[in-house]
Amino acid sequence: MNLYSIALRNIWRKKTRALLITSGLIVGIATAVALFLTVESMRLALGDQIDEFGSNIVIVPRAEGMDISYGGAHVSRASIDLKQLELSDLEAIKEIPDFNSINIISPKMVAAVNVNGKEALLVGIEPNREFIMKPWYTLAAQSGLNGGEGIRGLAMADLKPEGIIAGAEAAAALELQAGSQITINGQNFVVQGILNPLGSAEDGLFFANLAAVQTLLGRPGEISMVEISAYCNACPVEELAAQISAVLPNGEVTALRQAALIREETIDKFSAFSILLSAVALTIAALLVFTTMMAAVHERTREIGIFRALGFRKSHIIRIFFIEAGLVGLLGGGAGYLAGNLVASLAGTYLTGSAVPATWQPELFYQALLLSTTVALIASAFPAGRAAGLNPAEALRFI
Amino acid sequence: MSNVLIKMDNIKKYYRSGSDTVSALQEITLQIGRGESAAVMGASGSGKSTLLSIVGGLNRPSGGKILIDDLDLYALPGERLADFRREYIGFVFQQFQLIPYLTALENVLLPLTTAGYSRPEKYERALNALERVSMTGRKNHLPNQLSGGEQERVAIARAIVNEPPLVLADEPTGSLDSRTAGEIMELFQDLGESGLTILMVTHNPENAAYMQRLITMQDGLVTDDSKKPEPLASGRIALAGNAGGVR
Repeated sequence: MNLYSIALRNIWRKKTRALLITSGLIVGIATAVALFLTVESMRLALGDQIDEFGSNIVIVPRAEGMDISYGGAHVSRASIDLKQLELSDLEAIKEIPDFNSINIISPKMVAAVNVNGKEALLVGIEPNREFIMKPWYTLAAQSGLNGGEGIRGLAMADLKPEGIIAGAEAAAALELQAGSQITINGQNFVVQGILNPLGSAEDGLFFANLAAVQTLLGRPGEISMVEISAYCNACPVEELAAQISAVLPNGEVTALRQAALIREETIDKFSAFSILLSAVALTIAALLVFTTMMAAVHERTREIGIFRALGFRKSHIIRIFFIEAGLVGLLGGGAGYLAGNLVASLAGTYLTGSAVPATWQPELFYQALLLSTTVALIASAFPAGRAAGLNPAEALRFI
Repeated sequence: MSNVLIKMDNIKKYYRSGSDTVSALQEITLQIGRGESAAVMGASGSGKSTLLSIVGGLNRPSGGKILIDDLDLYALPGERLADFRREYIGFVFQQFQLIPYLTALENVLLPLTTAGYSRPEKYERALNALERVSMTGRKNHLPNQLSGGEQERVAIARAIVNEPPLVLADEPTGSLDSRTAGEIMELFQDLGESGLTILMVTHNPENAAYMQRLITMQDGLVTDDSKKPEPLASGRIALAGNAGGVR
């Protein structure tokens, strides 16, 4: 017979009460664990999605020297000592340590051309890369459709060598429709598709195959810029940019922090929300423990009086209550961990629409135990103190 | 070692009830000898239970001093008062006050829980105590599986398991039939004969007759401390005469 066996016997005797406290802690811990795991999976999924959508690294030909102004006219350094960037240069990127973090490399050739007698910007792209990197590009119309067929975004990737995709404004300015024949720098092309309006500069562009544009301009193998989409969960985008810069002496590599910042801000908001929700759930659990323990103290007043009369110190009474709370806390923590993992793995992906399923994290088990036990002990501190402070004479109705 | 175990000097106890002050004990001065058994009788509200709780270290007096074994009880620092109760005093409460979810043996083990004995030593002491009250055979029963008399015996075993010099009993036979009450009182008498000091609060003159000394209280005052118990009708003679009691 010791303080532990007294506490255990009392838990066993009041199973319903113990179950109530445990349930409260299970809900609190399960909420915290499930939210943590779900947010973690969202962090990965969202990160990947944000990284996939658009580029986060841009490479342009390197320009040496300094900017020069002469007679009030500004001469960019790019125009006086511009290095050439070739498509073959990009092979070197495969050698960088974090190449696996790179999702898409999309080289481009941008040039001012004459379209049906009007000046316009033509962008040579590799369609299967460019349009996957920018899934917000959708077609308003495309040629070759039969009646009743819908617009298929994937058709953009099947851009023929003589095909052109026109931005919404460009098509409107030249009164083009899907299937229209146009002349670019004297060469015939077919408008294969017209993009939906994007509300950006892309609306005024024409897109064609990179190889076709290079041939049209007489600059085979040359590219004027590269957009790279990289997964930044594994490594910081700046680190990746530095690695690419090291293997591309002709290129000026710029990391676009904006995507990373948006990603961090979005995830931070989710994290803060989940922490808040977990705190609310744990506070409710703590209140449940507190009220149940206070009721237990009231119910056990006489028993506490007997213990005190038999020579139990105040600290012994506190220890009995803390042992009870601690044991229930451990049970609630363990069960809450299991429940939280189950909820996160079964429902988390469905509820959040996250593409990455929540994975079980064994190391969270001990944290769940610690958190649950801490909550139970803190919530029991006042009731335990109240129990220890009971006047034994009053408890035994001597007064 | 002094022949006096309990020395009460001018003990007073007041309770506040709103703006009123109720006097429960008024300047009680008493001495109880080592090995003496004394019954405290009086009407309800006479202060006898309050006196018992003060002697038991459960209820701090409003004034005066109480020495047990020459220790100033309420001058003990911190938790020493709890230790003192464990080592010096065995309580037998009204209504037995056994812990309902512990067996007879575990109830008897309770005072040893915090006493620092080894596990085998605790069990040996508890079993010995149960044997003294003839309850070894019922040691694994819960209180609700025991009769009133058996529960009382377990409560007595719990009171003596630490071998304290002093046993305080508050109406120990209040809820027992007269035959069982008689058996319990004989048990108390045996304990008294073994050298234990017993201070018992009772309403029942028959129970008081088992004690060597009778203290009568009224309105918080000791009104009589001279009566000797009468011989018992059962034929067993209550201890009479001066058995070393100090007045």
